[in-house]
Amino acid sequence: MAELIGSILILLGAIFLFSAGLGLLRMPDVFTRLQAGTKASTLGNMLVLSGVAFYHPGWSLKLLIVIYFVLLTNPISSHALARAAHAIGVPMTRATVTDALRDARETDRSAR
Amino acid sequence: MRRPFIILAVMLFAALFAGIAIDYTERQSLRPLAANYVKRVPQELGAPNIITGILLTYRGFDTLGEVAVLFMVAAGVGLVLGERSLPRRDDVPAEPEEIIPSTELVQNGAAVLFPLISIFAAYIIMNGHLSAGGGFQGGAIIASGVMLLLLARPEYRIDHGFLGTTESLAGVLFVLAGIAGLIFAGGFLDSRMLPLGQFGAFFSAGAIPIISVLLGVKVGCELSVIIDRFRG
Repeated sequence: MAELIGSILILLGAIFLFSAGLGLLRMPDVFTRLQAGTKASTLGNMLVLSGVAFYHPGWSLKLLIVIYFVLLTNPISSHALARAAHAIGVPMTRATVTDALRDARETDRSAR
Repeated sequence: MRRPFIILAVMLFAALFAGIAIDYTERQSLRPLAANYVKRVPQELGAPNIITGILLTYRGFDTLGEVAVLFMVAAGVGLVLGERSLPRRDDVPAEPEEIIPSTELVQNGAAVLFPLISIFAAYIIMNGHLSAGGGFQGGAIIASGVMLLLLARPEYRIDHGFLGTTESLAGVLFVLAGIAGLIFAGGFLDSRMLPLGQFGAFFSAGAIPIISVLLGVKVGCELSVIIDRFRG
């Protein structure tokens, strides 16, 4: 039973990781690619690792630490990458209509 | 027009790798040289990690050469990229570049992660004789932590003098350990100058852990300096 649950979790994780790869290929610009890659790969990683924990209960603590590390690093690195891309003016796709960061910067500047 | 070529290239690669993968059969026995090392390293050096045993003892001189190459790289990068403080010819004071501060998220993340990365690096270096890892790998991890710090705090200036002194000290001690191996044991960097201890214990395998630490400190300092030079 535990192996079945573990297999299903790993399969789910693989689907999310696949969608992350698909998003990297199909999304139109840097920001949407980052979003697709980060969200799907964070969740996919966590699902695969928890699936492995069902197979090897003895590894649970180590896997928990790995999940903690992924949760800590993946969003922060994407956040920094997206800010950097925004700062050097990487163009957005035409379908994007709002730029909250630019608006916030402008209100900042006018307040000063 | 491009698409058929891309598909053709992918197909060719697939055929190539399929050929390799299908022809691959795992060797059932070790090559004579490998078998020799597998037998000798645990016996003579008392190190479960055979690769570290080879790298730091039988090929210790080689490792010294690799470290020297890395030192040349650091020196070369410093020579090319490190001349920022020279006065300008036209006496125009250099305008301070506008540094975009990193966000609170990145700064706090770095503050949480840097100790973890440092502990991991120390673990990799100290267990070089027991499990996968060693001085080079651990030093690279230290440098990655330094890189994270530089990303989180762009205004932070690294003390090159301190890093250079530490690195030189580690290098001198490394060579001295090699000479000590010449005097007290069978050859340059022979780790049997210290007692082998119990096989698989933390303090074991002669001088390999000490040499590992020296290598880790040296590589970590060198790579940190290189990363800082590239900041521009």
